[in-house]
Amino acid sequence: MDTSEVEFLAEREHVKIIPNFTQDKIFLISGDIGPFSAGLPVSIPLWLAVNLKQRQKCRFLPPDWMDIEILKAKKQEEADSRFFTEMSSPFYMEITQLLLQWGTDDIPKADEIRTLVKDIWDLRIAKLRSSIDVFVKSEASHAKLNYLTLMEINTVRLFLTKALNHMHQLRLMTSGRSQTQQSQNF
Amino acid sequence: MLAEKALDLIRELHRTSSGTLSPYNEDKIRQVLEEMKTLFEQNKDKAHSVAEGQTDQLSSIQLRHAGIQRNKRCLLAYLYNRLEQIRKMRWEFGSVLPPDVKYNMCEQEVQWFNQYNRLLANYMRSIGESGGLDLTQDMKPPKTLYVLVRCLLDHGEFETQDGNIILLKKNSQHYLLRSECEHLIRQGVLEHVVQ
Amino acid sequence: MAAFSTAGESVNSYFNIDDILASQEKIPCSFNVDVAAMGYLDQSTTNVDISVGTKLELPFWLARYLYRGTRSIVSLETPKSYREGYRHILKADPNVVDLHRLGPFFYLFGGKLISFQLPDADDIASILLKTFQGRFRRIMDGSQNALHTDLTGQVSMLDEQERQLFAAGQQGLHDFQKWENRESEKLSTSVMIANHRKRKRIGVSTQPS
Repeated sequence: MDTSEVEFLAEREHVKIIPNFTQDKIFLISGDIGPFSAGLPVSIPLWLAVNLKQRQKCRFLPPDWMDIEILKAKKQEEADSRFFTEMSSPFYMEITQLLLQWGTDDIPKADEIRTLVKDIWDLRIAKLRSSIDVFVKSEASHAKLNYLTLMEINTVRLFLTKALNHMHQLRLMTSGRSQTQQSQNF
Repeated sequence: MLAEKALDLIRELHRTSSGTLSPYNEDKIRQVLEEMKTLFEQNKDKAHSVAEGQTDQLSSIQLRHAGIQRNKRCLLAYLYNRLEQIRKMRWEFGSVLPPDVKYNMCEQEVQWFNQYNRLLANYMRSIGESGGLDLTQDMKPPKTLYVLVRCLLDHGEFETQDGNIILLKKNSQHYLLRSECEHLIRQGVLEHVVQ
Repeated sequence: MAAFSTAGESVNSYFNIDDILASQEKIPCSFNVDVAAMGYLDQSTTNVDISVGTKLELPFWLARYLYRGTRSIVSLETPKSYREGYRHILKADPNVVDLHRLGPFFYLFGGKLISFQLPDADDIASILLKTFQGRFRRIMDGSQNALHTDLTGQVSMLDEQERQLFAAGQQGLHDFQKWENRESEKLSTSVMIANHRKRKRIGVSTQPS
């Protein structure tokens, strides 16, 4: 899966904006959007929010979790926990990226937020790698990881599937040797 | 060593990098086929004497048979992996391959490419509404309908869907429908300018 | 373009290039019978036949044809890289071993050896698994961490399959970093075409001159 595909999926998430125009409901296959009243907050898909922002038609309202204090607490929670903690949004990384790319002026302390979110990401990725290592060493046949997000999984997808394939081949040799025979017979 | 030439073909594949196709090694293939033929003739010969009770020939027959099988595997793998590479090239370069790539293909490979081309074109024409669907387009989710592009080389005139003719001159910039220019970007004629 | 992966990419495939190369790795064999007219395989003599007791290093694909349980044409020995001595070193610290030098297809060829049911097959199987498990963390961290440091040292010590794994890790990292720098939305020239151009520019022609 390509990162741009992950982003595409994330763009369906709703965010709040304040439009500077008024417009009736728009009816789309994926659902109705609006109505828009100038100055009144409205929740719309991220892709449209970015599009409106690019044309200076709206102002972003940062999601509740995009707040220095909340993120600091989240970072602490993530650092303290052995397991992955549940993120406020399964697309926290993508939403942060897009909102901060187009609307730094709408989001208070944008730089600090960017750093905090990245810190949380780094903590989680480090945890993910340790889990993968433990998994490979333990020779377990499955593992359960809760609360991983799509983007996190996506960064290790190719590597992990290749590694597990390789492990599988090696383990077939130790356990049921006859099963590997087939591949040796050319 | 037995089947050494056939291995050379495999090593040749191993060295080939993406974006290229090494010249079809007709000479080596002929040599491998000759070795196979020799081994086969020898075995046919000896098989008669075994049938007449001379079992001391069995081991050498097995050995030569292994050589034939090995040569066969290498030859088929050589042809198969080249076809795979050619197929990938259809998706990257488009329906017309660069002359130096084409030059390195054997006649059957050219035929295979043409047939694959036709199959793909027919299939793409048959799906989607009104006039088919180009599967080689929108490899990433499109962000915008129009994109800003800069010409990387002189490409000559280009007719847009609405009938305008623009001149794609090196370093000139244009605002074009994404669907119209995606192929030219992939082929390195245009560069996508992201604001 | 994982969507277009083919059977040729699985190491179990008849057409797989790595598997063909791995099956060319040599095994020490000694002949239990005379083999008529095949003396040319032994480059140390000019004899027409191979005689009983001749020791030769034969590639796996040939050895497996000649080694069939009882009444085999040849007897086999475990190749050096998989014997007790190396197994001991690998057990002590798998990370210091240059697996590429030990056999560029250390795991793949090792797996083939095991199919011979040699007396130490179980030990070989377990050392293959343990070696990979022991080296895994460094391969993962190396491929995920250092974008700007020189990795050639580490990579040169990896076996072919480990190298592919390393490359997969790097690709994941590159993709993410490109996305993070907002470069992933940019349409770009196909990698294959770019390679083709580059080769043409530096004058590396694939055509015979």
